[in-house]
Amino acid sequence: MGSGAPSHNTALAAICVSSLALIGATFASEPLALDPNVSAADLTGDIQVWGWNIAAASLDKLVPPFNEIYPKVRVHVNMTGANLQSRFLLSLSAGVGAPDISQLQLAEAARYSRTRRLTDLTEVARKYEKDFPASFWKNCVFEDKVYSIPWDMGPCAVFYKRDLFARHEIDPASIETWDNYIAAGKLLLERSGGRVKMLALGTGNMEGLFEILLQQNGGQMFDDEDRIAINSPQARRVMSVIRKILEAGISANLTPYTHAFYASFTTELVATYPSAAWFGGTIKDYAPGTSGNWGVFRLPAMEPGGLRTSNLGGSVLVIPDQCPQKAAAWAFIEYTLCTREAQIEQYRNFDLFPAFLPTHSDPFFDAPDPFYGGQKVRRLFSQDIERIPPLNRTKDWFEALRYLTQSLSKWYADGMGSTEDFLAQLEDKLSRRLGRDVAPREPSEGS
Amino acid sequence: MWRHRHFYLFISPFFVLFGVFGLYPLLFSFYLSFARWDGLTELTWAGLGNFATLAHDEVFFTSLWNTLAIGILYVPPMFIGAFVFAIILNTAWLKFRGFFRAAFFMPVVTPMVVVSIVFILLYGEEAGLLNYLATRIGAKPIPWLVSEQWSKPAIAVLLVWRWTGYNMVLMLAGLQSISHEYYEAAKIEGAGPFQRMWHITLPLMRPIFIFCSIMSLIGTVYMFDEVFVLTQGGPGTSSTNFGLYLFNVSFVDFKFGYASCMAYTVAFFVFITSLFILRLRRSGLN
Repeated sequence: MGSGAPSHNTALAAICVSSLALIGATFASEPLALDPNVSAADLTGDIQVWGWNIAAASLDKLVPPFNEIYPKVRVHVNMTGANLQSRFLLSLSAGVGAPDISQLQLAEAARYSRTRRLTDLTEVARKYEKDFPASFWKNCVFEDKVYSIPWDMGPCAVFYKRDLFARHEIDPASIETWDNYIAAGKLLLERSGGRVKMLALGTGNMEGLFEILLQQNGGQMFDDEDRIAINSPQARRVMSVIRKILEAGISANLTPYTHAFYASFTTELVATYPSAAWFGGTIKDYAPGTSGNWGVFRLPAMEPGGLRTSNLGGSVLVIPDQCPQKAAAWAFIEYTLCTREAQIEQYRNFDLFPAFLPTHSDPFFDAPDPFYGGQKVRRLFSQDIERIPPLNRTKDWFEALRYLTQSLSKWYADGMGSTEDFLAQLEDKLSRRLGRDVAPREPSEGS
Repeated sequence: MWRHRHFYLFISPFFVLFGVFGLYPLLFSFYLSFARWDGLTELTWAGLGNFATLAHDEVFFTSLWNTLAIGILYVPPMFIGAFVFAIILNTAWLKFRGFFRAAFFMPVVTPMVVVSIVFILLYGEEAGLLNYLATRIGAKPIPWLVSEQWSKPAIAVLLVWRWTGYNMVLMLAGLQSISHEYYEAAKIEGAGPFQRMWHITLPLMRPIFIFCSIMSLIGTVYMFDEVFVLTQGGPGTSSTNFGLYLFNVSFVDFKFGYASCMAYTVAFFVFITSLFILRLRRSGLN
């Protein structure tokens, strides 16, 4: 432009500075706890919430009862669908554009906590610590500060088709260990003339089963000091189960959550699905006509008498630090996640299994569910969840999981070589790619 | 300059927009290739650290190999197909020419998500149409999307289907720009159809071929949506191409510094290769 018009420049600068000041004022931290002088009926706010599919619908349904307590807080739930994670990250990075509340997967909570772009909820949330399973709460805390609140969790069990089990005379009660499970799978394969497979296991996506099994028997990807701990006796046991399943030929190679996978709900190709409580919602969504034909048995144990549950998935709610109305946002989170009635409602309507433990004593948990032929599946899922060992996630969880997926796929494609080599190579890869040390070996347990 | 400031004012919108949305990101990502940054926490200077990591990144080299392999699998059939269809569409006796032209171009404008649903159904191992037909004629079912060996061919087939029409339209335009007088003169001289093809059509089509090659080169290197919707780069890393790996590093792992380093390195090689192809063209014209 040149050197002239100083007055214009000054004016421009003044506008810039004042708008910055305005922005600053808008995002100045607002107290999180409700001002004791303001009653719930007088709390005001206009809250944007981001969540995905079922979860968003579930929150949306809770807005009317929430408004009976907080009539002046308006809540808008957005089903943002694809790319929520990337958009959330970008809005945190930019400092503007984030919602007041966002849903995150439990496994990625750690990544966001350490950015310090989320509101520290410790002062209002500490009192709920005992109300959530320890394995879950651990992933919500970073450096002794609470950054997210557990929402739904994914206690694991095995969904099975009653007609297939009855026709081929398989008794679900006889399946107590993974060895029993594999033996039953072989029987099923034999008695159906090779047509019915015990489970769907996409060889390109075996990380889900791996994660279930690893957490079930207390293994880790990262140790307490965030070092690589994948080359462990627990992981070796996980690999031996996966190997036996593949070698027995009892799995259908279906990529999870594709059309062919969903189609298997209604055909006779696959008899069981080891998965988490929320998977029931997926079945109801894609195959409502199969109601009554489903049953659930507890996750097979690693050895007789072992733990018969695990966790897969689950999500949390967070308040970005840039939220200008934190008290209203917290009020909504507290109502939806930390009250019995709201959590029960979400389980009833959308199969979101409550992480909030006080709900588990509700009679609703002992009611028969017609979708599962009248079985009391909710009580089954809630058993032993306080005994599920926690997984250390770190900020690199998803990247590590991707290397695990890739390595498992390659291991299968190359003809399932030795487990020791596989885990040593995976350990080396994780260590190099993530720039982390390898955890010192635990004394081996006589193997 | 100050005297003509009004004129500069009139042309300034382009430069301002280019500066903000073109130049600044380019320069900033160049700077980022020497840094570590996740978009949220403090940016730290890494010097040549990213390049050192890249030199030992086996997924990066796998992704380059996959990119090349997919390119080799799909470009030749696509080119041949496009050229043959262009010649057929260019013949005088063909009816419904407009219909065919539109039909061949349809795949280019069909949203990739829709295409992927159809192709995933075609490719299904247990219940896919292709395997149904294969078993009908007694062949073994092919694990299209679930095996490390077949994922690249599966993507290549989709690419041929999708991009043949696009190249065909370009080649058709090239064929139509060749003057009929050349062919008439050749006929009078007694040249047969193959001689006319070899001595007239192919040499005159050379600039079009080179243009299509450069577009395919760039398209192959930065290809993303076809792979993303069909296989997400799997099984394993067997179909992870450069574009998808770049996306994973930046928007899944949030390693913007490393991603910039990768992008600049590959862009450099694409630039060199493009220069090489253009040099071919110049030598051909002389």
